[in-house]
Amino acid sequence: MADTIFWSRLQFGFTITYHYLFPQLTMGLAWIIVYFKWKHLRTGDETFGNAARFWARIFGINFAVGVVTGIPMEFQFGTNWAAFSKFSGNIIGQTLAMEGMFAFFLESALIGAVVWGEKRLGPRNHFLATVGVALGSWLSGYFILTTNAFMQHPVGYSTAADGSLRLGSFSSFLLNPWAMILFLHNQCAALITGSFVVTAVGALYALRGKFAEQASLFLKTGTLVGLISCALVAFPTGDQQAKMVAKHQPVSLAAMEGHFHGGTNVELNFIGQPNVSAERIDNRIYMPYALSFLAFGHLHAKVQGLDDFPKDEWPTNIELLYYAFHVMAGLGTIFILLMVLANFQRWRGRLEKSRGLLWALMLAFPFPYIATTAGWMTAELGRQPWIIFHILRTGQGVSDVVSGGNVLFTLIGFTGLYFVLGVLFLFLVAREIAHGPQSISANGKLEVSHD
Amino acid sequence: MIETWYAILSFMLVMFIVLEGFDIGAGMLQHIVGKTEAERRLVIAAIGPLWSWHEVWLVSFGGVLFVAFPTILASAFAGFYLAFFLLLWSLILRGISLEVSGHIAEPMWRTAWNFIFVASNLLLAILIGAALGNVVRGVPLNADGKFSLAFFTNFSPYGNVGILDWFTVSVAVFMLVTFAAHGANALILKTEGPVHDRSLRLARRLWKIVLLLLAIITFETWRVRPELFSGMSPKPIAWIGLVFVIVGAVAIFTGLHGKRELRAVIGSSLFITGLMIAGAASVFPIMLHSTLAPENSLSAYQNAAAGHGLVIALVWWPIAFILAVGYALFIYRYYIGKVKAAEDNQNPY
Repeated sequence: MADTIFWSRLQFGFTITYHYLFPQLTMGLAWIIVYFKWKHLRTGDETFGNAARFWARIFGINFAVGVVTGIPMEFQFGTNWAAFSKFSGNIIGQTLAMEGMFAFFLESALIGAVVWGEKRLGPRNHFLATVGVALGSWLSGYFILTTNAFMQHPVGYSTAADGSLRLGSFSSFLLNPWAMILFLHNQCAALITGSFVVTAVGALYALRGKFAEQASLFLKTGTLVGLISCALVAFPTGDQQAKMVAKHQPVSLAAMEGHFHGGTNVELNFIGQPNVSAERIDNRIYMPYALSFLAFGHLHAKVQGLDDFPKDEWPTNIELLYYAFHVMAGLGTIFILLMVLANFQRWRGRLEKSRGLLWALMLAFPFPYIATTAGWMTAELGRQPWIIFHILRTGQGVSDVVSGGNVLFTLIGFTGLYFVLGVLFLFLVAREIAHGPQSISANGKLEVSHD
Repeated sequence: MIETWYAILSFMLVMFIVLEGFDIGAGMLQHIVGKTEAERRLVIAAIGPLWSWHEVWLVSFGGVLFVAFPTILASAFAGFYLAFFLLLWSLILRGISLEVSGHIAEPMWRTAWNFIFVASNLLLAILIGAALGNVVRGVPLNADGKFSLAFFTNFSPYGNVGILDWFTVSVAVFMLVTFAAHGANALILKTEGPVHDRSLRLARRLWKIVLLLLAIITFETWRVRPELFSGMSPKPIAWIGLVFVIVGAVAIFTGLHGKRELRAVIGSSLFITGLMIAGAASVFPIMLHSTLAPENSLSAYQNAAAGHGLVIALVWWPIAFILAVGYALFIYRYYIGKVKAAEDNQNPY
């Protein structure tokens, strides 16, 4: 039984982490493509048209992997977490069904035409289709984040006679304050991923002296969107998210921060290694009063430590949770510095000549993926040992009829399949980047005629 | 309310089987009707840009099952654990092969992805058929309303059953041939030239086999679940399903022999819809039948979501449905008619 829980957690963690590498770029890049298409529609300038087509091709590959790795996620609720599904399906079924009905139909109808159908749809309707896909991807994000928000901060439910949950108030469930903040924070993070990738490709072309017009456009758009989204992800959205955790999941905040002993005037740990058995942070560098201030708005506020809570309510992997949170926050800070510098140089008109900075911008693109993954690990490890915070423990949510051996079988299958998908993805995207944003007519694009 | 949600779910499943059936069927025939690479690309082009919209009917079916019958979902998804993941992996491979094979116009690349495309479509057809067979036959539900199906036990459809036995394998074979025939009808409508002619010859043969297999599985169903037939008489909807099957079959045969391509496609859609309606109506209200003890069966009435969640979902579902169809029509009008050129538009460099 215990190993079913372990393997199911590992499988869900692995498949969701892998899956989310793709939608985060989709959701961020979609609006950048919409911007390029809008400029193309308004000005007729082919620099924008080719930029939009180039990114739409990469978007298409990314979207395809995102879709196929996303389908197993919804079904795993039932296959691996049947007890959880039965217990809370009355509530989370709403958002999971709405995601399919409102978002997936929209995205799936339009995506093929966005990637391959520009000539057929004509400029205006192709632009509309691109906007539709962008909207669909954000709508999908909202529904799935509302589902997650219910697990983090359950609201709008009542308890039925058999102990399971029942929808109490649809509007409080759908407009969960946790979901609102989470959505804004997460979408800013997706824009960071999108803008860093666009910037990195711009930097690559600038360094190689290729596609000068697009290099310049990608750098300009990427660093501007990057600066705005890096600022917003920290403040107000990240700040509000942390305050939400401090208010509703104080035990998670204590573990994220490695704050073992409660008290007032609490410091913020920057670096150090949690030593859970000794209940301290080793080799730590910290800032006095900062946690009190960030969590509750004044320097002397009392912040509960882990020792204020019974041990069976402590998150189950405090070390990993601590590192996940610090990696996210640390990278987020570095992103702001990098983007401020890039925009300063761009304002001086020197960005495309600053080769050192271009190298840094080119090599920076993997880090938003790491920061986003670490952020989600913070949220999900911080919720442990609960699958629905303070209502249902993770171990109670698992499918008890599925053996650990069966779960390991499917986990091994996913590992192999996703490895192949990853290699394929990198190969195809690298090809597109090597080919670059050239005009379609120049290389004789062939088309099926439907007349 | 419960009947309405059962009908909505059945409708969504029918949409998935009929629409995705075109793509699965056309896909698995890719090497039979397409002899050159250009002809094989034509099959992909005929499937068109809406295949993922077709697939979403399955994903949304899962979502609506979640909201309307969470207990059934929990029992069935965990019980069919291994089969479910095979289905998911086949969907992954098929989606990826459809999307990436066009990226590079290189013979080895195309050969590899075409092979994966055909193989995953075949596997999907068998798995969907076996799944439908399992729902009709029943699963080994215990008194807690749970089960865990092995792939196979002793291949008998009674008692402690597995996913595969002589009955479910028969249904899987039936669905495999039906999808192939359904896909051939779609290819006739969407293509010209050699692919069209081969599809037409194939469809004429396949539909005869479908009718023969239908007679066989009807007899087998009568052996395995005789009560479904005796319980059918007071259910007018099941009889409507049968009318659909007969009208559909007539439309298919007159369509295929009278060069009325659209009539044949509508006919095969009606035929499949009719079978699904008859099946869904005759098992109702039992959604999961127990092969161990009838009293363990899970009924729609006892396992529907409680409270006002279903009323709320009944408000948003029709809105979402109208929008969903609207998006598809918006795109589809650009893709009406036959795909003509030998090359598709997935930009090879």
